[in-house]
Amino acid sequence: MRKEAQTDAMAVRGLVRRFGETTVLDGVDLRVAPGEIHALLGPNGAGKTTLVRILAGLADPTEGDVETVGTVSLVPSGDRTMYLRISGLENLIFFARLHGMRLRDARARSLEMLDQVGLADAARVPVRNYSHGMQKRLSVARALLVEPAVLLVDEATHDLDPEGAIRIRKLVGDLAGGGMAVLWTTQRIEEIREFADTVTFLASGRVRFNGTVAELIHQAPDPRYVVRVRNGHPDRPPQAVALQRALGGVAQISQSLAGRDQFVLATSEDQPLGAAVVALSEAGYHVLACQREGAEIEDAFMALVTEEPR
Amino acid sequence: MSVSVDRVGPRPAGLSTAALPVGIAKLAAFVRRDVRITLSYRTSAVATVLGLLLQVLVLSWIGKLIRPSELPEFGGVHVSYMEFVTIGMAVNMMAAILLYQVATSLRNEQMIGTLESLLCTPTAVWTLQLGSAASSILAIPLRLGVFLGALALFFGMSYHLDGVLPSIVIIAAIVPCLWGIGLMLAAAIVTFRRGHGAMGVGTAALALSSGAFFPVGVLPGWIQSVANVNPLTIAIRGLRDALLGGTGWASVGTHIVELAPLSIVTVGLGTLAFRLALKRERRNGTLGTY
Repeated sequence: MRKEAQTDAMAVRGLVRRFGETTVLDGVDLRVAPGEIHALLGPNGAGKTTLVRILAGLADPTEGDVETVGTVSLVPSGDRTMYLRISGLENLIFFARLHGMRLRDARARSLEMLDQVGLADAARVPVRNYSHGMQKRLSVARALLVEPAVLLVDEATHDLDPEGAIRIRKLVGDLAGGGMAVLWTTQRIEEIREFADTVTFLASGRVRFNGTVAELIHQAPDPRYVVRVRNGHPDRPPQAVALQRALGGVAQISQSLAGRDQFVLATSEDQPLGAAVVALSEAGYHVLACQREGAEIEDAFMALVTEEPR
Repeated sequence: MSVSVDRVGPRPAGLSTAALPVGIAKLAAFVRRDVRITLSYRTSAVATVLGLLLQVLVLSWIGKLIRPSELPEFGGVHVSYMEFVTIGMAVNMMAAILLYQVATSLRNEQMIGTLESLLCTPTAVWTLQLGSAASSILAIPLRLGVFLGALALFFGMSYHLDGVLPSIVIIAAIVPCLWGIGLMLAAAIVTFRRGHGAMGVGTAALALSSGAFFPVGVLPGWIQSVANVNPLTIAIRGLRDALLGGTGWASVGTHIVELAPLSIVTVGLGTLAFRLALKRERRNGTLGTY
């Protein structure tokens, strides 16, 4: 059966994968549009890798449909997916020829891709001499050999230093800018802010959330802040009871273990942080610093992980 | 229940529509890869040659204890033990390399972590398997030529040159047999992950009953029965007839007729076992794991 996906580069419907009695994926739906970076989040054992393996054609689904327009390429999570004894260029030529290219085309395309990922100078160096980051970029170059419509990126940055991770995200972001659909699997949840357009959150093989990053952040519980408060008496720091009296019903405050003048402030959606700071100021307290406790996406992640499946 | 995986769209740019069939071009890519990897292990290649030379030296001294009259005749000619044993060694060396390559090619890709990357390309598992052994197969005549040539040069052994072509034909005829046996071993290794021990026992049993190191006639009766259907025995006898006995093409047909049914049986069984093993791995989604 041949199906044309309409506007999506990739559409997954009702995907089920069972291993014996265990259901690893349970009716997963997912859509990725051209030019979109779609983050796939979830705790360990959520089924992310199984889903990516099915989308890459490495495993078969038990039930469900996968439709893609154009070629799908995978950037695998492992480091050792290349032949370490031969050069990056020779690796790419080999894989390009397995994609059916003639030797001359394979060489030209490989050099082009090495240049695109910033490895032109290391083209003839054996891969065993590449750093982690270079190997990852070579992996991206290999995935681009066939001009994929969909790029599956499995945990590309989990073992990279910040500079290497930024470089990979920039590279993938540029590709998406050129119209490529990207499915970005990651455990580094904070990296999806200002990088991914949409998110699917998977837990126990089921989709718990599907939407934009902003919508995901809305899933986070009411935020908590660590505030430093002074009352003008250095020898008599403020007491939590007195601060709570000043706040009234605007927010909840409790002593922090971090220091005598530090407190944990819990606000709610209808009583924002500003109202709490104003209430404290009007009562004669000086709010010296305020920092969000935990990250919004991390909070949303934890909320979705602990949420009962609907 | 509905299951479908559709990948729709244009083929990538640069795809070959040229005269060379894509499958052969892919095999050529494997050969290029393996030659380059082999060249990166220069020390290992030197060590292999040295080990082989030491083995030949040991056998040459043993050969001084064995009178040619105690060995079978080939083409009505008595040969020295060195001539007798080096043909056996050459065929066994070829068989061991071929069996190892066929049996462990997928496993090796699993172990170094490249199998899933290979499976992401539009390449059939059979092509991966054949491709990984292709360079070894192509190198067989070269290896045998160098080995026997070095023996002629350094140990003064002489061969009938008109037996070279018939020998190549016999070697070509034994490759399907070894391929079939290799597929059976590959099926076991893909399924059980570890099978090198069993493969060692298998290749040793083949070598023992092949008559490579001593005449089949000195073996116990039941092993002689096994030896009669051992493809190595047939090939070694054929090469000795052609290269030592000078029988030329006379006995080649007989050896090919002996090898043909063995090829059919081993390739048939090997293909079946390997298919079943792959089907099981795909069903479990574990082909890329080790």
